[in-house]
Amino acid sequence: MTIAGDSDGAAAVATPHAGGGSCGPRLWSADGALIVGYGNTLRSDDGLGWHAAARLADEPRLRGAQVLWQHQLTPELAVDISKASLVVFIDASEADEAGAVSVRRLDSTPGAGSAWSHHVAPEALVALARELWHASPVVFLVSVGAASLGVGDRLSPEVERALPAVVDAVVAIVEEHCHS
Amino acid sequence: MSRETIVIDPVTRIEGHSKITIQLDDAGEVVDAHFHVTQFRGFERITQGRPVNEMPGIMARICGICPVSHMVASAKAVDDILAVEPSPTGADLRRVMNLGQIVQSNALSFFHLSAPDLLFGFDADPAKRNIIGLARENPQLARDGIALRKWGQQIIEWLGGKRIHPMWIVPGGVAQALTPEVRDRILAGVPEAIAAVERAIAWYKTDMLRWEEEASTFGNFRSAFMGLVDRNGNVDHYDGWLRVVDADGKFLADRIDPRNFNDYIGEAVEPWSYLKSTYWKSMGYPDGIYRVGPLARVNVAERMGTPRADEELDKFRWRVGRVAGSSFHYHYARLIDTLHCIEKVEAILRSPDILSQHVRSRAEVNRHEGIGVSEAPRGTLMHHYRVDDDGIVEWANLIIATGHNSMAMNRAVLQVARHHVKGDRLEEAMLNRVEAVIRCYDPCLSCSTHALGNMALRIRLLAPDGAVLHELAR
Repeated sequence: MTIAGDSDGAAAVATPHAGGGSCGPRLWSADGALIVGYGNTLRSDDGLGWHAAARLADEPRLRGAQVLWQHQLTPELAVDISKASLVVFIDASEADEAGAVSVRRLDSTPGAGSAWSHHVAPEALVALARELWHASPVVFLVSVGAASLGVGDRLSPEVERALPAVVDAVVAIVEEHCHS
Repeated sequence: MSRETIVIDPVTRIEGHSKITIQLDDAGEVVDAHFHVTQFRGFERITQGRPVNEMPGIMARICGICPVSHMVASAKAVDDILAVEPSPTGADLRRVMNLGQIVQSNALSFFHLSAPDLLFGFDADPAKRNIIGLARENPQLARDGIALRKWGQQIIEWLGGKRIHPMWIVPGGVAQALTPEVRDRILAGVPEAIAAVERAIAWYKTDMLRWEEEASTFGNFRSAFMGLVDRNGNVDHYDGWLRVVDADGKFLADRIDPRNFNDYIGEAVEPWSYLKSTYWKSMGYPDGIYRVGPLARVNVAERMGTPRADEELDKFRWRVGRVAGSSFHYHYARLIDTLHCIEKVEAILRSPDILSQHVRSRAEVNRHEGIGVSEAPRGTLMHHYRVDDDGIVEWANLIIATGHNSMAMNRAVLQVARHHVKGDRLEEAMLNRVEAVIRCYDPCLSCSTHALGNMALRIRLLAPDGAVLHELAR
């Protein structure tokens, strides 16, 4: 596995270990899957995406996937999206119950919250990749309800406990996509 | 006199959070306008008690957009406290990262935040007037913006190990020497980056006649301009001397050692904003208004100092004058600034000593006070620290580009509001022009703020007693 950046850094990238995982011998590859965890690690549970991505980067069942973790979603990520057949975003959610994991398939229609500033919405990024490079990846958002978004560099217990479920959810999405 | 107030809250497509208040009189005419920064961060207080060597790393956390700029100014302030001078290669490598930062930030400002307005017009439907609409209407322009962003970000990532908050710029220089592989990777992207920004400049020049009215009313006023220049009077984004010119280009001050900026620049606090307003002391407050950033850089400098950018500078000056007064021309200047940064990166990376292993000088605390000044994407950035005998920070003061531009932004908002807002109706297009003039300055409010939240736009018309008379939202 190669990692650019460090554990404290932003915008790191990793390709998970080759080899079989808990599923036994691998018959599929996650090539073409892009996993993007994002958020602010200094805002407690907003750093969920980072923590999840760090685990996924070491996940043997995701051999071949590209895993990114970023402070924010920025327009140039559309380039990476344009090259993927599957994109999974991971983020904290203010709307869900603390620690609750939800999986939602996204379309590429920019939502009302996609006013352009220093960050962009996942749907808008996918729409941008579609417009500029005719990309049409399957896109999911895996989110976890945040208990705290205050200043802090640790996850709340509720969100920390949800991390294994996030990993399983992402692996399931990738596996189903690669088998389809 | 009774007054009504229009509030635009928050302003969209800028970095950070703010609102705009426009005050009307009985006749519905605009009598005053304010650009409010409504959030507070307090890094100057947070850093008290920390070892001074930590300052570049801490200060980089002020902003996710231009952490490198804060790191550069902070490291220079710590250099001053250590009384240490980075090696030429160390200084050049700092320059390269700072220039990469400016390229990616300028690209975000022009291509992603402002180009939709320029392409579709300020009266266009906001559902179309965004980067998705831009990608549909002019995909090459959108791709060029992304390419420039990516190249600038890659410079930071390749040098520092990550795109945001790299810990590579340190007191005394940089943490690691440049490798031939990284140098060559950066250089390989230069031709595409130059082509991208030159296409944008060509497009902008073709289209700019459409915006003559906006250019005449978007913060078009007489003011001073400030920026760093090198020994030849050319633009310098990393070091040099402060130069200040008036609206006619006459020097108000030149070859000012940046460490003496306090002799010339004052800071004022207004009750309606957390953003401090700086002013030129000899002219007093609020008359001592000046501007910084790309427009100021091209206005104060003799030349950009690189061939392609100088060629465009000549055309710029032929079109808009030796000292451009309209804030609308920030867009044009930002593109020329970007072109210069790319050329400068190439020139530095082709210098023979750039792979030298001597990139960091080391020293202990030798002074109790230090000042670091550099050019950030949005303008001149100043870090000023005081430490005790053990190098523990006792006091810090930051003057950020958006603070330098605070008074100018308020004046620009007032001018646009007077021209476009008539008070009896709230129309999105005219209110967007008020927002757009703010975006000319590309204010980065993250430097004093940081909050989670939806950037929806809300515009309120309030009666003198605070009752909401009319409200628009999108």
